[in-house]
Amino acid sequence: MLNKVICVRCPRSCVISVLIEEDTIKSIEGYGCRLGLEYAKEEITNPKRTVCSTVRIIGGRYPRLPVRTSEPVPKEKIKEVINQLKGLTVKAPVRRGDVILRNVVGTGADIIAEMDVEETS
Amino acid sequence: MKEIRKDVVVVGGGPSGLAATAKLAELGYDVALVESGDELGGILIQCIHDGFGTKLFGKALSGPEFAGNFIEKVRGLGTDTFLQTHVTSVERRDGHWILEAVSPKEVIKFISKAIVYATGCRERTPFEILLGGTRPAGVYTAGMVQRLVNLYGVLPGKRVLIVGGGDVGMIVARHLYLEGVEDLLVVFPEPWFVGLPRNVQQCILDFGIQFRPRTIVKEIVGKEKVKGAILVKVDENWRPIKGTEEFYPCDSVVFSVGLVPNASKLEELGADIDPRTRGPVVNEYFETTLKGVFAVGNLLTPFDYVDDAVETAFIAAEGVSKFLNNEPKREKPLPIRPGRKVRLYIPHRIEWLQGRDLTLFFRPSVEEANAKISLKLGDLEVYYTRRPYVRPSLLERIVLPRDRIGEKDGEVVLDVE
Repeated sequence: MLNKVICVRCPRSCVISVLIEEDTIKSIEGYGCRLGLEYAKEEITNPKRTVCSTVRIIGGRYPRLPVRTSEPVPKEKIKEVINQLKGLTVKAPVRRGDVILRNVVGTGADIIAEMDVEETS
Repeated sequence: MKEIRKDVVVVGGGPSGLAATAKLAELGYDVALVESGDELGGILIQCIHDGFGTKLFGKALSGPEFAGNFIEKVRGLGTDTFLQTHVTSVERRDGHWILEAVSPKEVIKFISKAIVYATGCRERTPFEILLGGTRPAGVYTAGMVQRLVNLYGVLPGKRVLIVGGGDVGMIVARHLYLEGVEDLLVVFPEPWFVGLPRNVQQCILDFGIQFRPRTIVKEIVGKEKVKGAILVKVDENWRPIKGTEEFYPCDSVVFSVGLVPNASKLEELGADIDPRTRGPVVNEYFETTLKGVFAVGNLLTPFDYVDDAVETAFIAAEGVSKFLNNEPKREKPLPIRPGRKVRLYIPHRIEWLQGRDLTLFFRPSVEEANAKISLKLGDLEVYYTRRPYVRPSLLERIVLPRDRIGEKDGEVVLDVE
């Protein structure tokens, strides 16, 4: 069976063809980079997404700190990840890449800060 | 008034302004970066989704992360950056550019040899799509909603109508959905979403967000606060079909109906403006028609990928260097003209005698499979390349080897076959 996958790892949106026979991937074509190859494999066997949202931050310039999962998580866990972030509050200062929450909803991915936030007095 | 002498002043601290600044500093020039807002990073600060920078960094970063990389770079190079500093006037005097700027602290007069404008785009407003009805509270642009949701944690409403099927509209729809607005409808006049396929999948289909193609908003209803909107079906020429009007109740309407380059300051200065891009007319190093004034990033035309916008900044920085070194230009610039199937393109002319290969960006006016992109000089085809698929919603990038042009005269025609 030939499956078409639109790569979402970057805005280039490569259309990747994945040929599956007897439950194994026979060939993958049309990917533009290594990320695309990995994505096509994943999207067929275990679709994943990077989840981006915000958490509350105290003492920063804005009331919200943008965060994301450190790596893509299973698609069906997106809403759970978002819900887990709802009660979370952090304090400025924060550095880009800081881990805000480890192993979010058991996915193995961490929640990391997307930007530096200085403490404002 | 404080006087500051610089080789180059970069106006605008978004990704393209930061990239131009970093590159110029690396090339050894004394450069000042002037930003009117409170912080560096531009619009990327509110674009918290991932997918930025795969070309430059080899990974899918979020907007703030992408910007953060460049902010660190610029700081690391020790460049002078001026925040909350607004350029009020620019003029050419005695072979220099004089920029007057104000900040809450002081008035500064920059005296520089060259200027790089990186002032990006603005969002089109409901007025520009000739929308009828009242103007109640609850009407937003998508960028405003992105800012409210991602930086302030404020949702615009409980039942939201999104107007526009481009990338920004889709991305805002996803954010609103994930943050708790599940009553969403996206409408657009085209038969299908015009944004990138990845966003259709990841923002709309993943969550089953409702959408209606070939539908526009005719009128907004509500006096103090939005009560709803009158939707109407349109034909293939986007003309409303009589009798298909329908009242859609909602408490907010979000417009995501395109971006326009912020080129009015350049126009006031006397730079030629391209009616297609609505940005400045530029040469192959993105120098405008004003001597020593360069334009980069979304000020040229809205780019699909920030990596491409940043590339124009790198190229322009090299151009500034050529300009400052008085490198020779052609006696007559070689104009680039659009063929029948080209909607818009940059750059518009080839001016320097020597230099890097020419990077061209363009949007086709048609959808075509197995498209041949060609550049002709008179009857001579100087370059061609093929793409599996081209369409108006994808900005194409091609590189024309400079030696194919040499010192030839005439005009170059860019087209899709």
